[in-house]
Amino acid sequence: MDIDPMDEFERELQQAFSRRPAPPSLKRRLMEKRRVKVAVRPWVTWQRLAASLALTAVLAGGAEWRIADERRKEEAARDQVLTALRITSHALNEMNARLAARRHGTQD
Amino acid sequence: MAHQRQPEFEQLPDFEKEFEKLVDEHQSMVFSLALRMTGDRGLAEEIAQDVFMEMDRNLGKLESADHACFWLRRVTMSRSTDALRRRRVRGMDLWVEMEDLHGAPVEERASPLSTRLEQMLATLPEAQRAALVLRYQEDLTPEEIAATLAAPVATVKSHLQRGLKLLRAKAAKHLKEFVRGH
Repeated sequence: MDIDPMDEFERELQQAFSRRPAPPSLKRRLMEKRRVKVAVRPWVTWQRLAASLALTAVLAGGAEWRIADERRKEEAARDQVLTALRITSHALNEMNARLAARRHGTQD
Repeated sequence: MAHQRQPEFEQLPDFEKEFEKLVDEHQSMVFSLALRMTGDRGLAEEIAQDVFMEMDRNLGKLESADHACFWLRRVTMSRSTDALRRRRVRGMDLWVEMEDLHGAPVEERASPLSTRLEQMLATLPEAQRAALVLRYQEDLTPEEIAATLAAPVATVKSHLQRGLKLLRAKAAKHLKEFVRGH
């Protein structure tokens, strides 16, 4: 350590800055606060556990609902596409029938 | 810093005895550090309470008596700095005649020289104050101060030199009747 040895002023500082006694009430208050905390701790643990479970349930329910909703939307979209295909197919059949009738009339 | 795990820390699940022992051993250190950093007895008591309650939450992680002492110093300095910052934001004036306003009991009052030096210390920038308090109250080396404040050693040395120079100049001006060796 390259710090100079203390001179007289620094020694005065060291004396002046000696530790002050803590207020006598500090330890008493700390021990009381701690006892209250320890007594409350099991309740807090249960509350936290219950809150975690509730939150997990809500999140799981939300995820489930979202998956079901997406599936519903997919099925609706598929139904729409099938309906469109059915309409197109019907229109094409009708067109084919007309063309066939016209061709048949020309040959006669 | 190598910390040896003390076996008695592992035996009691509640840690109450360890907590009480650490409070007995270190309350004066924690309170004095907070008091000299903030200049407010009430605030210093609040900080000391917070620090010890946080220590209680982390008691299982403290590996030895040395580690506990280091941890307490570090957290006290950090909490004191936070408290000063919060007060600055609120625009409150710090270091207001702490002995008179906060009514320390007579037996706890410091000597006139100590009080005057503390008042002068209060006028120094916060970083210099922190370095000087750890150096002269806790008798730490610059390397230990650097570890406590999580600052580079060179910065700490600079704060110590500048702070000491300022304090010496102030003492030379105002404390001629007390200080002999400046």
